[in-house]
Amino acid sequence: MTISVGGTLPETNLVHMGKDGPEIVSLHAKLKGRKVVVFALPGAFTGPCSTAHIPSFIRTADAFRAKGVAEIMCISVNDPFALKAWGEATGATAAGITHLGDADGSFTKGLGMDFTAPHLGLIGRSNRYALVIEDGVITKANIDEPGVCNISTGEALLAEI
Amino acid sequence: MLSEGMTLPDVVFPVMGADGMKSVSLLDILKARRVVIFAVPGAFTPTCDAAHMPSFVRTADALRQKGVDEIICLSVNDAHVMRVWGEQSGAAKAGITMLADADAAFTKAVGMDYFSPKSGMLHRSRRYAMLVENGVVTRLHLEASTGVCDISGGETMLAEI
Repeated sequence: MTISVGGTLPETNLVHMGKDGPEIVSLHAKLKGRKVVVFALPGAFTGPCSTAHIPSFIRTADAFRAKGVAEIMCISVNDPFALKAWGEATGATAAGITHLGDADGSFTKGLGMDFTAPHLGLIGRSNRYALVIEDGVITKANIDEPGVCNISTGEALLAEI
Repeated sequence: MLSEGMTLPDVVFPVMGADGMKSVSLLDILKARRVVIFAVPGAFTPTCDAAHMPSFVRTADALRQKGVDEIICLSVNDAHVMRVWGEQSGAAKAGITMLADADAAFTKAVGMDYFSPKSGMLHRSRRYAMLVENGVVTRLHLEASTGVCDISGGETMLAEI
């Protein structure tokens, strides 16, 4: 399965840190009947993710909401504990961005978006992409080449909707 | 399965250095040295953060006074997450080495991996502390449950060596 405009994302269980601990979240339940932004990145506390990608969505979160986006979700191959700490450290949580963990990497692999860089200690992580999804159907898809953060930023996606 | 008297397998870990990532062989770390290794289920998880790590931050100096050359915290996380956890938890300041078993190669090799998919924890390490002398495990404190930190803390190790 690949990501394409007009297509859908496969159903998967992602994990989110709730008030009382980790919670399993159905991706399709998050998408149904809503207009949302989903963006993905290699991992919590990695360089460009913390310094470029996340900040671009923190800056644009309000503008997305003004354009009718109900939720902005960030998917990465991490566990919910690391994601909670990261969301608090970057300001993403305060900006209302939801972190969802593809803990076993199966969703990312299924989309063919995974990469492995053993020398960086990153195994089965996600390349960068940003999507607008309306009632489950992908209406915008900005997929970056591995290793770069250009068209999957908040500003680039915002300019398209 | 990890046990006293066992010679630890050699595994190469990616370690975050001042100039970026480098590879470190466990054999090189352990050879002709006394090393305490404590393993935890994950960075930023409640018991690890609130109990296990602080117990070694408190006892690091005393362990060194008793001839321990290095104190290592090992977890199945990537080096990026481990670096930040080390800074936030006080471990870096206490001179504790953060070792990222990113692909769980070491944890699996010693039979210490466990799964908790509901928490997004896959191939994580059970909680234990061990004294390793010239590569051989001479003391092992393995917790019966991952959620408790009774016998694997720094004080228990300190009392025994």
